[in-house]
Formats: sequence, C-alpha cells, structure tokens
Amino acid sequence: MGPSGSIPVSLFFTCLADAFSPGVCHATVEVLERFGATVRVPLSQTCCGQPAFNSGNRKEARAMARKFLRSFPDDGPIVTPSGSCAAMVKHGYPVLFRDEPRMLARARAVGERIYELSQFLVDVLGVTDPGSDFSGKVTYHDSCHLRRGLGVVEAPRKLLRAVPGVEFVEMEESDRCCGFGGVFSLKYPQISCRMTERKVERILATGASYVTSGDLGCLLNIGGLISRIGYPVKAIHLAEILAGGAGGGPPGAAADAKKGGG
Amino acid sequence: MELHANAFGRNARKALLDKSLQEALGRTTGRFLAHRDAAVAAFPEFEATRERASRIKGDVLDHLDTYLARFVEAAERRGAIVHVARDAPEAREIAARIARDEGVTLAVKSKSMASEEISFNEALQEAGVTVVESDLGEFIIQLAGEAPSHIIAPAVHKTRQEVSRLFERHLGEPRTDSIPELVGMARRHLRSKFLSAGMGVSGGNFLVADTGSVVLVTNEGNGRMGTILPRVHLAVVGIEKVIPRMADLPTFLRLLPRSASGQAISSYVSILTGTRSAGDPEGPERMHILLLDCGRSAILEGKYREILKCVRCAACLNVCPVYQSVGGHAYGWVYSGPIGAVLTPLLVGLPEAAALPDASTLCGACADVCPVKIPLPDFLLELRSDAREQGLKTPGEIAAMKGYAGVMKRAGLLEALERIAGVLGQFFTKGKGIAGLPYPLSGWTERRDFPAAAVQPFRKQWKIKRGVRR
Amino acid sequence: MSEREQLFRRLSAACGGRVPTAGEPLPGSDAGAPEGGLVARFADTFAAAGGVLLRGPVEEALSDLGELLRGEGVSALFCPEDDEAAREIAEALVPFGPFHLTTGAEVRGGSAAVTAGFRTAEAAISETGTIVETSAGGKTLLPGLIADVHVSIVPAGSVVARMEEALASFTPDPPRNISFLTGPSKTGDIEQTLTVGAHGPKKAIAFLLPP
Repeated sequence: MGPSGSIPVSLFFTCLADAFSPGVCHATVEVLERFGATVRVPLSQTCCGQPAFNSGNRKEARAMARKFLRSFPDDGPIVTPSGSCAAMVKHGYPVLFRDEPRMLARARAVGERIYELSQFLVDVLGVTDPGSDFSGKVTYHDSCHLRRGLGVVEAPRKLLRAVPGVEFVEMEESDRCCGFGGVFSLKYPQISCRMTERKVERILATGASYVTSGDLGCLLNIGGLISRIGYPVKAIHLAEILAGGAGGGPPGAAADAKKGGG
Repeated sequence: MELHANAFGRNARKALLDKSLQEALGRTTGRFLAHRDAAVAAFPEFEATRERASRIKGDVLDHLDTYLARFVEAAERRGAIVHVARDAPEAREIAARIARDEGVTLAVKSKSMASEEISFNEALQEAGVTVVESDLGEFIIQLAGEAPSHIIAPAVHKTRQEVSRLFERHLGEPRTDSIPELVGMARRHLRSKFLSAGMGVSGGNFLVADTGSVVLVTNEGNGRMGTILPRVHLAVVGIEKVIPRMADLPTFLRLLPRSASGQAISSYVSILTGTRSAGDPEGPERMHILLLDCGRSAILEGKYREILKCVRCAACLNVCPVYQSVGGHAYGWVYSGPIGAVLTPLLVGLPEAAALPDASTLCGACADVCPVKIPLPDFLLELRSDAREQGLKTPGEIAAMKGYAGVMKRAGLLEALERIAGVLGQFFTKGKGIAGLPYPLSGWTERRDFPAAAVQPFRKQWKIKRGVRR
Repeated sequence: MSEREQLFRRLSAACGGRVPTAGEPLPGSDAGAPEGGLVARFADTFAAAGGVLLRGPVEEALSDLGELLRGEGVSALFCPEDDEAAREIAEALVPFGPFHLTTGAEVRGGSAAVTAGFRTAEAAISETGTIVETSAGGKTLLPGLIADVHVSIVPAGSVVARMEEALASFTPDPPRNISFLTGPSKTGDIEQTLTVGAHGPKKAIAFLLPP
C-alpha cells in the first residue's frame, strides 16, 4: 500500500471509455481513491482531439484542445487511463499551439501535470501493491504512446506482478504496434488487421487468458479480432485488473474476471 | 523511376496477398532486425555515437553551403570534375554527356539510390551505353526488369528459385537450388564486365568536405572493382551526403553497418579522392562527380530539413510493422518505409504522394532506431497537416472531422448522442459486439467486432453515482 | 548564372550565411585504446569478421597457409613486384602447393586459375579487424581486389587501435584510394542468406609478422 493522505486528482476519463467502457473509468476512480486520492471529475471534458491531430486536421484538434484546457483549470495532477491521451496532451498540444505563445504556455503547464494511471500510481504515489483480488493468467501489451511517447515501461508490469492472483507472462514483441493507430485502422484496414493478427498470435503463444494494456483503443482493436474469431482470450483494461472486483469493461471481460478468469 | 505513390492502398492490398513476398519479408526484416539489435547491444557506445552523428549532420545542414563548397574545391584540386544537377532531366543530360564525351560504351554500376531517383540507367541506355548493375541484388532485379524493393537489399522479394530462373533465361546458366552457386554465377559473369568497362558508376555514402573524397560502404567488392579498374569513375551523389572532416567518418562507419545489417563494419570501405596519380598501376584517369539537388535545397529551407541527415541505412524499414507487412514496392518510388513516407512527398510533391504519410500508425519504432535521430513520426504528422492545408483531403474526411469536433465542443451534446448510441446498440446487438458498420467504419468490421456503446456513458453514471447534476 | 552558382545561392539563402564554428565538444568516441593489446584484439575482430589469422614461427605458418590455399583450390600466387615481404612469403610458399607464381597483370587479363594475392598491409585496425591498403606510392591494389584468396602480410607494428588513427596517417592529402578490407567479400542479397565470396576475395587471410 502506498502513502495515504488526501491528494486532489482530476480524472480525464477519455471519450472512448466514456462511450464504450465506463467500467474502465469507474475502476480508475476506485484505484485512485484506494490510495488516498480525492478524485474530481470535471464533466465538461469531452475529447483530447487525438483523432483530429493524428490525421492532420489541426484546426479541429485545436478546438478540442482548447476545450480540454478549459475543462481542467485547477492545479494538481490530471490522471487518465489512456497512454495515448496523456501523450497527446503532453506532446501534441505544444505542437498545436506552437504559434500561440499564451496557449502554448498553458498547454505546457498542463502537460507537466498529466499522467497515465500506472505512471501516476507508481511514480507519484509510490504504490507497490495495487491491492487487487483479480486472478488469472495475464499478458501485457505495451501500447506505442504509453511506451515510446511517455516512456512508461516498468510501472504497469510492477503493478501487475504485485497482484497475488495474477500469473504474469511476457509476450514476444510486446512493444510491437497492434495495428490500431486510430484512423489508420479505417484508412488501411487490411494492413491494420495483419498487424493485429500478428499481435494476437503472440498473445495466444503465451497461453494467457487475458491481455491487458494502458490504452483502450488497442484493447478494442485486439479484442475485436479475438471476439470475431472466438479465441479463448479476453482483452481487459489495466485499470480493471488493478481495481479487481467488479470492473465493467468491454462486454464480458469484467464479469468473467469476477469469477476468477480462465 | 516511375512514381506510383498514390496507389499505395491498392498495392499494399496486393502485397498482403502475395504469399512469396510475405515469406521473403518475414525472413528478411526479421533477420536484419535481429542482427541489428545484437550489434547494438554489443556496442556500449551506440547511443553516444548516435548523438554525435546527429549533431555532426546538424552542423552540416546548418552550413551546407560552406561544406559543400569545400568539398567541391578539394575534389577539383585532386582532378575530379564536379557537376551540379538541379533536377532529374538535367542530371540525365549531364550523365549522358559525360558518357559520350568519355567515349564510354559499357558502364558497370554499383548501388546508388540517388541514381534511381533520376532514372540514370535509362538515360545512359538512350545514349547508347550498356549499363550493367553489379551489386548482386541490383543485378538480379535488372535481369527481371524490376525496381529495387528495399534500400539495402533490393532483391529481398525474390526467392532463390526465381533467381535461378532468371539466370537460366538471361545468362544461360543451369538451374540450381544452391545460393552459393548462384552467387558464383553472378561473380563469373560480372568479372568480365569489370575488366572491360570503360566507366564505373557509383553512388556515395559520404562526401568528405576537407579532402574532396567520395566514400563507399559495401560488402560485395563490386564497388571497389568499378572504381579501381575502369578508366572513368562517375559518382552520383545527393548534395546532403557531405560530412565535414575525414576524422568524422569513423563515427558514421560505427553506425551505418550496424544499423543496416548488424555488422560492426562492412567488408569494404573505399575512400576515393580524385584521379589516379602518375605512376599508380590502377585507378581512374578521369573522375566525375555528379551532385544532385533534385529537391534537396528546397527541403533544406523548410521545417523538414532534418530528413537530410538520413544515411540510407534502412533500419527504419526493417523495424516498421507497415513495411514488414507490405514491402517496398507498395510505396511506389525509390524510397520506402518510414523514410520513404516522408522523403518521397518532399521530393516529388505532396499531391503526388499524399497516400504515404498516412501509411503509418505513428508507433515510433522508426525514431527509436534511426542512427541520426531523425524525428520521423513528427514529420509524418506534419505532412498530414500539410495535406489538409493543401486541399488534399477528401470532403468526406473534412466533414467527418468537423462533425466530430462539433460534437466534442459541447459535453451535453456528446452525452445525448452517447445515450442514443447506447440505446440503439442495446437494441440491435443485445450488448454483444457489432459485426458490421457502414463506411467508413466498415474497414474495421471486415475482420473485427466493434463494441456496442454502453447503455449509459460514464459521465451519466457518474452523475447518478455521486448525486451530482453537472 | 551557372547551375553551380544557382545551387550555392539557394544553399546560402537556406543556411543564412552562417559560418561553422568549433562548437561544443561532441559526445562519445574519444576513448583510448581498448584493453588486451592491439594485436590480440585485432586477432579477435579479424576472426569475428570471417578472416583467418596465421602467426607464429614462419615455417609452421607457411605450412598452415599452404594447406589453407590448397583447400581453396588455389594454384597461382601473385604479389606486387615492389612488395618485398609479400614476395618472400609467396616464393617460400611455392613448394607447399605446389603453386606457381603469376603476375597481377596476367590475372587481370583474365586468367582462369584460382589465385591467391599477397600484399603487405599498410595498417591494421584492431577496433574492427580491418586491413588497410592504399594506392599511396604507386602501390597496386590487385591482390585484395581480384584474387580469389587475399593474403595480407601484417607487420605487428602496423596495428593501430581505431579507425581515426588509420585515417590520420593518410590525411590531409589522401591517395586516390584508401581501402578498408574486413574479412572476405559477402552478400546476403539472395533470400537474406549470407554467402561468403561475392565479387571480392572469398577468403581473407592475415599473416602476422612478429615484431
């Protein structure tokens, strides 16, 4: 258990989780509160603007970035269960506002205090044991923006290994892109699928019942292929494993987790 | 080379279905990567050397006018004739003129990507010169009438059986399954060319400014043969290949072979300066250096200038999951993989190659391995933004983006739409995944399920849970 | 204005008329000589690159060398006319074949024999296992270029630690050709399968002369 004490934290729950996996958001709150954070949830937030920025549509991305910055005016850490969204704010916003000095300064300041969940737990709160009752054989996918964008490699692994019920197994090519890439999966779906297939092959080779990651986009992608073919693996978000108990992620995942998984 | 960059989507789909190509790609890139990783792990100074190389190249770009002028002066002092070509047509004209003036009928050529840019071989052939590619991979694809598919392994896509069939048809050699025998056939056939060719044509991995030297980094020995035995040496090199001093060369020699093929050093490094001295038993009497601008000075002026640091090692190709899936030909021009996705639009114009910057998930693996630290993902993002500004995006995409941004401007509107989607999703799928979505989302659902929206979005659930209203 | 003048005008505009300065010191790579002695390290790196190193008493080494060459099917030996050390060894080797002596000119003229070319190295680099040959002083490069087997005679005192040192002795005014030769020629261009012996020599042998 990490140090307790009331740390005010703002939750950036992401549009994907909001619409498709509210359980991820609840799990994130639960874990943060478990370690003494007081979680504020500014409800004016919508989207960090990544899909627009990544596809070169900077005008629209800027509009969403401005709204984001307005939604998180307070000081203190912002925590999100998404490596790619944190990376967007940290690295993408300064690019979006490079010609607007005032916005640039604001974006940089916010970028300094935004964290992905596992990064926040380990590096800021000093958590060594997430206190989760999850059980099952789990492998971990390094999402590109969490690993290369934010440099977060060990934190998720430390937390997963510390869960008594988790049998953690590394997959080969854990850091190889799963093929999601946001709009890439729509623009070049066949290439995207080929990459997802390769990722799923590596997952299956571990014999794990669960694949987890710090990015919901990756999990929906991987999970979508798994469910279409019917492989005996479930994609579950890292936050849900760390929370344990009832999670509520993509259909079926958390309910099975509650039963103790495969 | 002919340009087909905007056919990337179609060519990529074809490539994915080409079993023999897929096998070749898997084998090749996997091997290159494994060797590269091992070589890097065995070289503790790798990161420091990368930083050093990136800075040296940065210094070169900041002062390219000075360093290139030094190079030209030093090379001319040693008897080289230096030509400058602004664009491909000019370069072809100069190359043909050189061959004519020197009375060349047979030219033997070692690898040069820059010469592919300008369709060098065609230019010389039109001028009545036979051009023989001597780099084994290039020799193979020349026989096949194809373009190279990888920067350092041009025949990566060919199996030994295909090579043997080519050698049978074009060289009259018996069929064989043995790779060493195939290599031996090429060695025999090309040996006589080296000995009789009037001109050897090379590229240039580096141009050393303080000595006027052209540096070739090779493994086969053909680069040496072609630049020692024939009477004339023609080097075709991009202006950005300059390095300031001979003393800087080892830094790059420590990075290039490791990054390309996992070797601590290549079998041969040739440092070639001017013409033969009186009394030298071998060496060219005449040396021509054809410096290519071909779009590089324009890049130097702008935000993409760091792309000119590239040393053409192809590490970014080998590590790129998109390149690994579709190979080099899909990119439709000389350069493929991440470097191609940036350099091709910059050299040929974005409208002719707008499909390429989109051919990436921005995973960042390329930036991790680039020996000179080019920020390739940043440049891909920038090019996508340029595409929007230059009116190269479809009205459909722009409308979709505007719609999406319009919804995201108002949390209340977003919530309303989420709740509608949630109800519809439950109604149509009973909480299971969605198997078919309309275009453009149909790309996803061809082979993957898409989740149904949650009945209540988190923001609504939160309000209920915490008894808050906004 | 000529094309060259136009190019430099464009470049100057892009470079803003800046002049290169010494700048900050660069990271990496000014380290001193590696441990273990230069010759020992050269032996390791040369072997790692696929070369074969011979040393020890001349008589034994000659016999080993003869065996290696016979194994490659070599029948003819050649060396530069003005290369004493190479000539001595090639001549002493003749009975170990038997081999016969030929000239670079004959080989270049298209002789079909399997040949071994002998030449004294001007330097050897222990960092990489590299033999350095140049055209300085009108020396021929044919032995390492067109022979099937390349035998480098390496005086122990010619071994240097790093590439920088080897290059420093040939700058500021380099000869037409400075060649770094590391191991035999090779290619992986067919099915990414490494094959030794492409256009250059198929075998690289270094004959280390005692100090």
